[in-house]
Amino acid sequence: MSILHDEGQLAIASQSRRVLDARMAKDRLLGLLEQVGRHDQVFWDTAIEQGWTALAVPEAHEGLGLGLIVLGLVAQAAGAATSGAPFLTTGYGVTRALIDGAAPDLAAQWLPRMARGEVIAVVALAEGNCVLPARPAVAFADGRLTGVKPAVTGALAADLALVWASGVAGPVLALAELAGVARHPVNSFDNSRLYGDLHFAGTPAHVLAQGDAARALADDILARMAVVTAHEQVGGAEALLYIARDYALTRKAFGQPIGAFQSVKHRIAELYGLVEIARANAIHAAACEGTAEFALAAADARLSATEAYDTAARDCVQIHGGIGVTWEGGLHLHMRRARSLAIEQGNLLFWEDRLVDALIGDRA
Amino acid sequence: MSELDMTAIEMPANDLAAGIDAWRDRARGWLGSVAGRFGREARHGLSVEDDLALGRHYLAARFDAGFAGINWPAEFGGQGLSHLHKMVFETEEMALGMPSGYFGISLGMPVPILMRHGEDRAFVKERVLRALRGEEIWCQLFSEPAGGSDLAGLRTRAEVDGNGWRLNGQKLWTSWAQYCDYGVIVVRTDPTVPKHKGLTYFWVDMKAPGVTVRPIKLAGGDSHVNEVFFDDVRLEDSQRMSPVGGGFGVAMTTLMIERYIATDSGGFGPHLDLFVDTARETEVNGRPAIEDGRVRSAIARNHAMRAGLDAITTRAMRMMQAGMEPGPEGSLNKLVSVRSRQRLSELALDLMGPAGLAFDPHAHAKEDWAASWINAPTGRIAGGADEMLLNTIAERILGLPQDYRPDKGVPFNQIPA
Repeated sequence: MSILHDEGQLAIASQSRRVLDARMAKDRLLGLLEQVGRHDQVFWDTAIEQGWTALAVPEAHEGLGLGLIVLGLVAQAAGAATSGAPFLTTGYGVTRALIDGAAPDLAAQWLPRMARGEVIAVVALAEGNCVLPARPAVAFADGRLTGVKPAVTGALAADLALVWASGVAGPVLALAELAGVARHPVNSFDNSRLYGDLHFAGTPAHVLAQGDAARALADDILARMAVVTAHEQVGGAEALLYIARDYALTRKAFGQPIGAFQSVKHRIAELYGLVEIARANAIHAAACEGTAEFALAAADARLSATEAYDTAARDCVQIHGGIGVTWEGGLHLHMRRARSLAIEQGNLLFWEDRLVDALIGDRA
Repeated sequence: MSELDMTAIEMPANDLAAGIDAWRDRARGWLGSVAGRFGREARHGLSVEDDLALGRHYLAARFDAGFAGINWPAEFGGQGLSHLHKMVFETEEMALGMPSGYFGISLGMPVPILMRHGEDRAFVKERVLRALRGEEIWCQLFSEPAGGSDLAGLRTRAEVDGNGWRLNGQKLWTSWAQYCDYGVIVVRTDPTVPKHKGLTYFWVDMKAPGVTVRPIKLAGGDSHVNEVFFDDVRLEDSQRMSPVGGGFGVAMTTLMIERYIATDSGGFGPHLDLFVDTARETEVNGRPAIEDGRVRSAIARNHAMRAGLDAITTRAMRMMQAGMEPGPEGSLNKLVSVRSRQRLSELALDLMGPAGLAFDPHAHAKEDWAASWINAPTGRIAGGADEMLLNTIAERILGLPQDYRPDKGVPFNQIPA
């Protein structure tokens, strides 16, 4: 499946890009890098004001009832701007869990508040270096969670967490309020992602899914968040492609623009290829939402987007030479984000295996 | 959209969309009905001569069935449909392995240019119909020993000779020239002006006195390309298809006629399924290759790359279906897919180990790793070397500067050799 964006979708894409271009400021984002536990409130206020928090929430719960295609376009704009907070993706994961889980009362309780941006929700699946452990160490029993979820994205500002835990009879996906939960901040290379360890100590939680249903739902949520992230990565990679292009046109050396040297222009042309392949995969995956093809398409999108953003960060800095590695130049905002997004939602190694499993499974 | 496409029937997007689905069904129906006679299985093991003969029969059948010249005007035996109709048909045709390759260049570039620029319209019409039926084949005589990527550096010359021209020189890498009846050719008619400005475009009779065709055996063993020598070959001025000195422009149109053609994200090598099969049948250090991380990584990365190229192609087709001009990203396909196929073929041969050493010179590159591997470099060079494609992306799409060109603006005969 592959789609052409309609006029409404294109309008949302250009509006989100325009508003972020106007409001995001490199210096503000640079300042956040050296502070633990702070995100860019201007970005998040913009997200709420523009209705991005309501995009994927069903209309019955005061949302807009839109799907991955539109959310992807907004994520692309956020990626281009190295968005100052991670909550769009994490909130989407929790939204989908509430929609697809088996607890309509919880959906009715939380979704309207999430749509309005009053509640920040995050997803805590990973443990160790594993994005979705087969038997998580965090335990769920008698309605309570115990154990540590490390380096959870958005943890330091979150009100609510979706937690992957081991129940008495198989895995569960449980929803916990974080008011009384201890959070240990992680001082990271991309601090506005608000990474923190969540220490559950008999924290009350509600089950959204358990057993095989929980496993299937966790897989699906992870794939969905990976597709949103892939769009964000495409946005970042594309921004770097044109930053590199513009610099190569203006910077002169040996009597000509450096973009006239094949070593430079071919590097940029290669970036174009990576970006367009990743974009096509991301759009395709978003359009496959809810179909049997989705898992494989999500893996394709995630792999090509991670490769595109990592390579663009590497090469754009290289093309800039010395100015590319200065603090003030700010390219390291993308360099950091390329790596933080590569790790969130599962690394390349995880998705390579996922893809091959899906492929072989199809043909088994 | 090319001029030729403008001659196609204009129709509203919705009708076009519905029409395309019906068209695809019709194409599948007919292709399926003749696949036993002309398809991949029927061609297996044939000599090139027998395969070409089969191809000529296939083209005649295709003509009679109403699938020839799909986006050409009816007066030239065409169907008057859109470029998209053509792409849809060719995608289905390629999937069945029909023997149309011998005629791909002929009908793709020289014959459309003849339709557009040929002077004697009765002659043109007869040639076009014969080419569509596979009775005559046209080649494109562009590259030379001195000019491949640098087409305008060519040296073959035509000098005024009475009321016509006299042609001397050598062309190189001319596909299927040994089977061709006619060709289109770009030659130098004025060496005293800068290189792009002294070229003129003609058609030439490949059976004329003074034309010698010598096949060149390529590394993989096949000989579909040739060197072609011209010794005092007489050209009438009516064979000229550009203004004198205006040949480069026509040559560029030739190359730009169809930016989107039926493509293969596998780089015209094996399907990824074949690699998965190879990985399932082999071991790495006593463990199944399919469980080896390096092998899995190669599968995953190639799958993601091919899926992206396929999505680009599908999107382009949808855009055309909606009456829009597709984006330039379609130009990535050959660059990205063929070099990936080259590396994947190396890895497949590695997995096979000593068993991979066996070589069948007649094996098809889409079905055999050794054939795919040994013919891959040709794909990376023919039709635009990787480096030229990167230049095109950088310059045409991204607006980056041209390379430094010391020969720019210099009269051709004063460029240091």
